[in-house]
Amino acid sequence: MRDGFLRLADLLHRVTAGVCTLLLLVLFAAQTVVVLLRYVFGIGFLELQGVVSYSFALLAVLAIPIALRLDRHVRVDVIRRMQSPGTARRFDGVGILGFLAPLFILTLVYVFPDILYSWSIREGAIETGGLPGYFLVKTGLPLACVLMLVQGAALFAGASKPEGPSGERREP
Amino acid sequence: MSPEPFWLALLFICLLGGILTGIPVMLVIAGVPLLLALAASMAGAFDLAFLHAYPQRVIGVMNNTILIAVPMFVLMGVLLERSKVAERMLISVSRVLGGSSATMALSVIIVSALIAASTGVIAATVVMLGMISLPAMRRAGVPTRMASGLICASGTLGQIIPPSIVLILLGDQISNAYIEAQRKAGNFAPDPVTVGDLFAGALLPGLLLVGLYALYAAVNLSFKPVREGADAADFFGAEEAEAPSLWLLFRDIVPPALLIVAVLGSILIGVATPTEAAAVGVCGALLITAASAGQDSPVLRRLMALTAAAALAIVVLTALGLTRIDFSTGTLALTPLSVLTIVLAAVVLGGVFTAAFSLWRGGVLGASIAEAVTVSAMIFGIIIAASMLSLVFRGFGGEILVHELLTSVPGGQWGILAVTMLVIFGLGFVLEFVEIIFIVIPIIGPVLLATDFDPIWFAVLVAMNLQTSFLTPPFGFSLFYFRSVAPASITTGEIYRSIVPFVLMQLLAMGIVMALPALATWLPDALFG
Repeated sequence: MRDGFLRLADLLHRVTAGVCTLLLLVLFAAQTVVVLLRYVFGIGFLELQGVVSYSFALLAVLAIPIALRLDRHVRVDVIRRMQSPGTARRFDGVGILGFLAPLFILTLVYVFPDILYSWSIREGAIETGGLPGYFLVKTGLPLACVLMLVQGAALFAGASKPEGPSGERREP
Repeated sequence: MSPEPFWLALLFICLLGGILTGIPVMLVIAGVPLLLALAASMAGAFDLAFLHAYPQRVIGVMNNTILIAVPMFVLMGVLLERSKVAERMLISVSRVLGGSSATMALSVIIVSALIAASTGVIAATVVMLGMISLPAMRRAGVPTRMASGLICASGTLGQIIPPSIVLILLGDQISNAYIEAQRKAGNFAPDPVTVGDLFAGALLPGLLLVGLYALYAAVNLSFKPVREGADAADFFGAEEAEAPSLWLLFRDIVPPALLIVAVLGSILIGVATPTEAAAVGVCGALLITAASAGQDSPVLRRLMALTAAAALAIVVLTALGLTRIDFSTGTLALTPLSVLTIVLAAVVLGGVFTAAFSLWRGGVLGASIAEAVTVSAMIFGIIIAASMLSLVFRGFGGEILVHELLTSVPGGQWGILAVTMLVIFGLGFVLEFVEIIFIVIPIIGPVLLATDFDPIWFAVLVAMNLQTSFLTPPFGFSLFYFRSVAPASITTGEIYRSIVPFVLMQLLAMGIVMALPALATWLPDALFG
């Protein structure tokens, strides 16, 4: 049961990381084409601009559970370095149960009616002529909340750090 | 809603305690206010309706067009870091300047300023300088303490010299606060403050800091070569014995310099938005990184140079209005020049694609994007968490309390400014710039910007203040990074002492900008009117 859940969380982490890599790549590629078209050929497409803003919107929330799983969210670790590994783990448990879980459960509950409505009208771009499908982008928020809860639970259950860049550097 | 001083005090204490436990800051600054709000609502001191706005705040961040530039600038920085272009610049510049202790320190300052103007990732810069320039500076006779301080301080220049993430985030928050403040004061059409304004405003103050560092180094060190015929390459222990030549300098300096001109220049002359410039920056970084990753593939290097030349040619042709292509009016005159433009555009696209493809195959691009994603996630995590804090703060009537406190400060608007700067400086010992920007500016900004202070000038002062927070122990990030690469023979206490003169120079520079607002406001005025 626990192992099965941890494997699922690992899989979700890898999928999320792959999706975010793709989103940043698409964001950059679309923005580059926008620049070339605008400054060299004097034209622009609202749809292309839409690709840029949609990729960003999804990236902004879906990346957060990745950093959580990789332990890359900023910590002030001056006191943490003096804690025993057991104490540090207990504090992390408090962070997940006491802070992470209520925050993202509450966000899910509050955003739910809005998402339902957005789906019911198939909400499109804010500006006319933009890209349709904004309701899907908006759904990224509850999705990110669920992923935060899953990865938080995995860390709480003692998931090890997945392979990949380590948590050495913590500042942009 | 009347202020709830008891709950606000409890909020402050719990936040501070929570942050010190070592739990991720993002979870603390969202979780603590949320739990307190739930508790207070049971005691009838908080209206939970405030929290209903939370998802909308997050969706607001997702739709924020200013923030789109952030992940791209981060990616540009990560790519340039992997290209090792900074290391090569450092060796080239110091070889040209000569082999004395003062010129060695000056090379470090010059190269730091160049890195800062290309993106400036503090961690990467300090680690690189610590590994490459610390041994070289010591061999050249720069005292260890001076070298340590110089590295920590130079590494933070990226936060003040544009383009910088600090200025983008500040631009977002200051413009909101300014519009809110002016509206309250009855001005319904204030001139908006843009990220471009802040970039222009921060340029001269940033250069002022560079100048102060250089002056300090020049006064304290000797220009006499360490020994006869000393070549700076010896200090780096470089095994390549290539004779110093103008060609080497050209090869190492010109590509990053062109990139700086393209990215920063296009924003400052008001042609491009920061997001557009960031995309161009990533393209340039891809070319530079692919060229240096393919050291043993002359074809790739030539292709990268050709791509850069084609991009340059397009810029020149477009600027001269010679391309004769304007699809918006349906004009496409089939002249040799318009055909040339289309060919050049194809070359640029093809070259950037080749660079991306070769880096992807080498595993560099994938790793860089993954790194940029996690770094961006840290920033967005804090932004999203800070919206919870600010909602709860509002719900407890904190804004009214802050407004009352600030307006009771003696000394009018200057008194308020002094208090604000002290608060930010103090928070800088414990918090990072993202938290400070998204917590303090929405609270204090609307009060302070209702006065006749210039919003750009205020933003630049805040940015300089935040930059200093990277240097102030015990939570100065620049010091952490330097500690992680400095040899054990340099004690942590020594590192703390080494940055004292540089923190004083920061304060001096802030004082100068405070006394001469034109340093921050002249360039944006001249550029954007």
